[in-house]
Amino acid sequence: MNNEYLPKKAIIEKIIQESSDTKTFLLCLNHRAYGRLKYKPGQFLMLSLAGFGEAPFTFASIPGKDGRFQVSVRRVGALTNALHQFKEKDIVGVRGPYGNTFPLEKLKKKDLLFVAGGCGIAPLRSLIQYVFKHRKEYGKIEIIYGCRTPGDRFYRAEMESWQNNPDTKVHLTVDEPDEKWGGSCGVVCVLFPKIKLNPKTSFAFICGPALMIKFAIRDILKFGFKEPNIWASLERYMKCGIGKCGHCYLKGKYVCLDGPNFSYSQMKELGIEA
Amino acid sequence: MQRFFITKENLKVLIASLKKDCDEFIAPKREHLDDLVFGDAKNEGGELLEYEGNSVISPRAFLLPQTEPLFEIQSVKNCGFRPIEDKKTRIFYGVRPCDIKAISLMKEFFLQGIEDTFYKQKLEHSVFISLACGKRCFAKSFCNLMDAGPVAKEGFDLQLIPLSRGYLAEAGSKKGSQIIQKNKKLFSKALPDDEKEIKALLKNFAERVKKIDFKKLANIMQEDKVSPEVWDDIGQRCVVCSGCITLCPTCSCFSIVDRLDGDKGVRLRYCDGCPYAGFTRMAGGSTPFPLHKEHIRRFFEHKLNVDLQRYGTPSCVGCGRCIQACPGNISIKKFIDTVILNG
Repeated sequence: MNNEYLPKKAIIEKIIQESSDTKTFLLCLNHRAYGRLKYKPGQFLMLSLAGFGEAPFTFASIPGKDGRFQVSVRRVGALTNALHQFKEKDIVGVRGPYGNTFPLEKLKKKDLLFVAGGCGIAPLRSLIQYVFKHRKEYGKIEIIYGCRTPGDRFYRAEMESWQNNPDTKVHLTVDEPDEKWGGSCGVVCVLFPKIKLNPKTSFAFICGPALMIKFAIRDILKFGFKEPNIWASLERYMKCGIGKCGHCYLKGKYVCLDGPNFSYSQMKELGIEA
Repeated sequence: MQRFFITKENLKVLIASLKKDCDEFIAPKREHLDDLVFGDAKNEGGELLEYEGNSVISPRAFLLPQTEPLFEIQSVKNCGFRPIEDKKTRIFYGVRPCDIKAISLMKEFFLQGIEDTFYKQKLEHSVFISLACGKRCFAKSFCNLMDAGPVAKEGFDLQLIPLSRGYLAEAGSKKGSQIIQKNKKLFSKALPDDEKEIKALLKNFAERVKKIDFKKLANIMQEDKVSPEVWDDIGQRCVVCSGCITLCPTCSCFSIVDRLDGDKGVRLRYCDGCPYAGFTRMAGGSTPFPLHKEHIRRFFEHKLNVDLQRYGTPSCVGCGRCIQACPGNISIKKFIDTVILNG
């Protein structure tokens, strides 16, 4: 009997402290027992801790050696608090991958804009890494990343290396700067005037708090991006990941099956207006 | 479809022989306070051959129980999990056509895409014997308007239609045909008069009503043309008792939780539903749908609009249980009438 709810064992190989409340876990499925985990950018997995239940997390990296993958987890509830107590070599349960990916074929040769707020950078990172891996196939890339404080930034070393890619710009902003901060201040929208992409043909990818997504879409539309070319990664409460439990149901769609990545034209059909 | 006749006495004999072939014989019984509920009658007996009205709660509870283990947690430390299988064979006797349709809809839902192993397994090991309705049951039921009664069209293994002299029996599947084959001696040929009696019964049900235009209803909801006052009124009436989702035969939402006793335990799912304020609440506290009216709206839109588009039929079967139970007098039937009238 194939029990879809039964998680597979994965070992925590490395833990990276990203900020005061967020850690990135490098996980490896026992691939001798289960095979390698194959997934695409933007998909998610259900992560289980026995005794604490499970929760969905988007892959925060492209698949590494033997299907190794990363998830970045902010401490917000019972499960994430428990996960933060875990050490390297500890074992967690995973099942997936679930959900959809981005229209990867359509993106070729196009300019790409990434807008991330807070831990919204994690789901977008799988796509960003994917694009950099196939850098020649894509046009200009601009990444806008906003956080609360300079200390809340994730993937700091990696982000500096992103800058070194050809035709790539990374813009940073924080809500509350400290003395050392020399960059922009304010919400992500303050950085939009700096974008130098052709809005007619470019694609935008947004992830962050619901309110940030709303205002970012508004500004990007004003900038001239087309509705089907604006993509957001939505977050909903979900329990099963396979379209059965009903929690993430949204006007006939299930965020776990039909999403979590939706274009703005699709979002409007689901009743989410910017 | 070939129809047979069976007398009341022979039906009793049939039931006795069916009981031997299953692990649980789920049949309508009278519980304390005279409530009609489905329960296991294999050993204790007490099953009703025939009954008026419908059970308080649909047999859904045996297919999607209030709590159901998904697997055992053998060790918290090592994430040791052991699958659980339910291989019990069940015969459901006396299920009303509305609930039969509900089970068919649930089957379609649970088996589409990634299959729900637990629902599938239970269905595979189950036999459904439908008992058609001779009379209207609850005053508030409207199965005939929702294409779900008084006689089931499909979804049953065996259907019994009550007649003045006994029951007309028809098989709806291989499992049903096998039951008739195996107990051939108990059945006889149906007479032309029996068919006439059924025709009269159906006519009696159909004559009293005007058919609901499902497409029109769905379109109005799809285009968001239901007047905001209707939703406001419903939002004020809902007291979040969850009676509707508990009794609805097509409600299937659930949550998953771990229950531990020391280092061992179980991960189980339990019935959940959209009227609860916490249904969409995420870790960190943000709730995309915080209002009562949004919850009932989701409930109604799912049943009347979305599922019509998905399955070609609304997933409200008109059993009337939610209307009967609602302390705030919210009625899905009244809602349908209002929307169609004003649309």
